[in-house]
Amino acid sequence: MLKSENAIKEEFWKIFSSQDRQKIKDFRKHMDNFAVNFNLYKDGNFIERSLPFDVIPRIIEKQEFQKIQQGLEQRILALNAFLQDLYTDEKIVKQGLIPREFILQAKGYVKEMRGFTPPKKVRTHINGIDLVKDTKNDEWVILEDNLRVPSGASYPLSIRDKYRKVYPEYFSKLKINPIKQYSSYLKNALDYVNCGGINVVLTPGRFNSAYYEHSYLARIMGAQLVRADELVVIDKKVYFKNYDGQKILVGSIYRRLDDDFLDPKFFEPESLIGVPYLVEAYLAGNVAILNSIGNGVADDKGIYYFVPQMIEYYLGEKPLMRNAPTYLPYFEKDMRYIEEHIDKLVIKDVAEAGGYGVLFGHTMSSIQLEDLKTLIKVNPRRFIAQELIEFYDEECYINDELTPRKADFRAYVVMAEDVKVWECGLTRYAIDAGNYLVNSSQGGGFKDTWVVEL
Amino acid sequence: MQDLLTGNVASCLYWMGRYLERCEASLIEVSRAFDIIIDVNVNEGVILYEKLDEHITYNGASDFLDVAIFGDHGGNLLKVIMAARENAIISRTQLETEAFGSIIKLARFMQDTSKNQTKIDCTFINEALSLTSETWGKLDQRQNRHRADYFIRLGRLVEKVDFKLRLEDDKNFALIVMDEIDTIVQILAPHVTSKDHTNSSKAELIVSINNKIDKIIN
Repeated sequence: MLKSENAIKEEFWKIFSSQDRQKIKDFRKHMDNFAVNFNLYKDGNFIERSLPFDVIPRIIEKQEFQKIQQGLEQRILALNAFLQDLYTDEKIVKQGLIPREFILQAKGYVKEMRGFTPPKKVRTHINGIDLVKDTKNDEWVILEDNLRVPSGASYPLSIRDKYRKVYPEYFSKLKINPIKQYSSYLKNALDYVNCGGINVVLTPGRFNSAYYEHSYLARIMGAQLVRADELVVIDKKVYFKNYDGQKILVGSIYRRLDDDFLDPKFFEPESLIGVPYLVEAYLAGNVAILNSIGNGVADDKGIYYFVPQMIEYYLGEKPLMRNAPTYLPYFEKDMRYIEEHIDKLVIKDVAEAGGYGVLFGHTMSSIQLEDLKTLIKVNPRRFIAQELIEFYDEECYINDELTPRKADFRAYVVMAEDVKVWECGLTRYAIDAGNYLVNSSQGGGFKDTWVVEL
Repeated sequence: MQDLLTGNVASCLYWMGRYLERCEASLIEVSRAFDIIIDVNVNEGVILYEKLDEHITYNGASDFLDVAIFGDHGGNLLKVIMAARENAIISRTQLETEAFGSIIKLARFMQDTSKNQTKIDCTFINEALSLTSETWGKLDQRQNRHRADYFIRLGRLVEKVDFKLRLEDDKNFALIVMDEIDTIVQILAPHVTSKDHTNSSKAELIVSINNKIDKIIN
């Protein structure tokens, strides 16, 4: 940890200890009134749930954050170049850097997108990169790239908005970077690729877990929030259906649903939340879809392994940030290593997300480990193995006391004419002490992230 | 003025206005009936709810409050406010943050009270009315009028007419409010023509309003 970061934290704790604890309860109550929800489905039932949040922010010193910004900017440029290449020239595959089989077996690869270039060649518009700070080397490590529909940015925006008003002392005494620019980043991303028409945010609807976020983001960027039945495609153009019967041309769609559900005429025919013939309009170049269709191949957990090589291949640069040490059972050498060290590794199912399909070798019995080895051997493409990274805890104020929790960090990277890394992000903490899973869908909470200048 | 709204959102704003108004008007009427039940006429609550096509039974003034607000009937105010909340969530992008927050606060207050074992009393009515007024105040705070605001206002006025006609058969009041409804209709849907209602019956008035709403929200 930087000395300067320590100085900032000391100042924070000085102010915190002078605060009346009752104010924290009032603050929580205040947040409850704004229904900052991340809903869950349990046993087939819809449960409306406030997303747990903590009042102690994560503090990152500005200089340190600038390094993260540079690393992520580089990474997104490479991933965008990879997707553009993969769906057009396929040079990286032809030159043997990534096995073709690996691409074809990636769940997110959409072969129908081959030969198609989206507006301005931007494919990775709005991205969430998950990081942790490794205690061993005291450095930030990338765990995962989310290039499809990363959620979560609305939560720090909501908490910050209230925090500033309830605790103005912090903001007058510490040089905390403002974060409201995120709305303009989003708007710029939509405007930059807009094919003529209005901007809309396409939501699966009220009962989606992240509906709060969809409505929040649509509001701050001045876009219309729509469900699929509020859009219609006529002659390969997408229109917004106004209440009075007018049809308004749509130029950019920030979709908040996965490829599979986007268009029942193109993908999953049973989808009730997609817009029929939307992909036709997209392929005709009449509407931009953010993020691009087919991005799932690049945030596949197996493809993650190759990102450092992509950076060197497309940008001719050394990666500025490193991946967590990862092994692919697909490669014989890696398979041997996994077999020998499985009790110390974290095994991830590449098809799962949200903290599901993650197994920690050190918590499994020898019989379970043997079963897992067999499963990996039968389907090596389905799994990756990673070294368990010991990452820093963050102090949380839970049940009226300070207590440490494992916390990761999701950084948001938005690409338009240039790449912007938002000077904030979503810090997610595990709900129980010692738990490494911080995902909201696993019951985890969130806290604000302050980028502070000395 | 912002012009774009989907039919679904327009409809939610309209119904949010109606449910909020229904909540406020009901609270006022329940409070008035409660006052009479205490020592003037114990059947005042039954009379009130019969006008609203609901049959209720209760044992005294305190029980009347519980039955009126949380009883198993169509006028249950928890259901009314939860419906307002649901419509607010769907149309949230069109609401100011503070206005949205005050609807959630009101709904939470009603929900929390319904879960308490103790019987509610007149302070509950006062608090609920105060939160409802706060909500209307926050909804009116927007500096520049949006099309969304007119849908909320339209819902509020339509509910006023409906509620008043059910309770008092006061057509004159309804006609005055109808003028304001027609003005809003002209803003939202200039193609919809207004009609002179002076000689309309109570039923014709309600049908006319509903027809207008159907023409506005496609």
